[in-house]
Amino acid sequence: MSACDDVRTARVLEAELAAEEHAHAATCAACAADTPAVALVARRLAAHEVPAPDGGLRARVIDAASPLLASHARRAERGRLVRAVAVGLVPLPLVVLLDVLLVRYLDALLTAFLPRAVALWLVADYAAMLALLLGVTYAAIPVVATAPLRRLHAR
Amino acid sequence: MAVAAGDGRALEELCRRYERPLHAFLFRQTGGRDVDDLYQETWLHAVRGARGFDPRRRFSTWLFQIAVNLCRDAHRRAGAEPVSPDDRRLTGVPGPDDGRDAALDAQRLLAALPEAQRSAVVLRYYHDMPEAEIAAVLGCPAGTVKSRLHQAVARLAALVRDGR
Repeated sequence: MSACDDVRTARVLEAELAAEEHAHAATCAACAADTPAVALVARRLAAHEVPAPDGGLRARVIDAASPLLASHARRAERGRLVRAVAVGLVPLPLVVLLDVLLVRYLDALLTAFLPRAVALWLVADYAAMLALLLGVTYAAIPVVATAPLRRLHAR
Repeated sequence: MAVAAGDGRALEELCRRYERPLHAFLFRQTGGRDVDDLYQETWLHAVRGARGFDPRRRFSTWLFQIAVNLCRDAHRRAGAEPVSPDDRRLTGVPGPDDGRDAALDAQRLLAALPEAQRSAVVLRYYHDMPEAEIAAVLGCPAGTVKSRLHQAVARLAALVRDGR
């Protein structure tokens, strides 16, 4: 690529010539001979205006993309759900172990002070409540995890 | 990208932002042929591939890359230049239908270029893209873009000089 190429291209495509291009153009006979044609090309390109897009084009694109967006949203929802459940399941064995230890400790404690039947009733009651809380907590994971995406759908 | 999570508003915002530049690019690249279809197809490709979009890249580069590829496919299918460079005069010499707008001449000038050169010229001249970004859009080295621009301008000047 010669200096003449640089000058010719810059004359058409750039706002102004660089200093070295300017210096070359000032002394080059080939560049001088090229000037009218290059100027005409620049004028032609500058005159190339395009019509504005059809007003309904954007709506058509959004309409056409709706099934794809819905599919993306479903996939994102599934991914989020799977991640949330996976993260929730990690501490589950520890939580269950702690609950079991707590119930056994409570059973031992209450049996020391209360009749066995009453202690058993209280411990069973407490264990049932713990199990219920744990169940509700895990049932809430999908609901909480997918809430932002449901809000997105609603929008 | 929010579009990958199915956010319609995000898509609408992107469409609003890139509507004119993308439409203008497709118009110049194809000479106005099937522009609306290509425009819609570009967006559908973008939405379809949204999950694979690398957020470190510029969205415009990616979008124009899709558009260039679709134009290339359409061109291959059609098997001809969008507007024949021979069917009208390219010079400023007055002709029988010289009253028609100069934009048509520019369109024919662009049509006279091979597609790869035309893409480079349109992206550089009308979209003010730096050579590095054009290289990313066209999937070639920056040096190739530079030489394509040189070749394109030389060809345009020769066409005008020869009075074609």
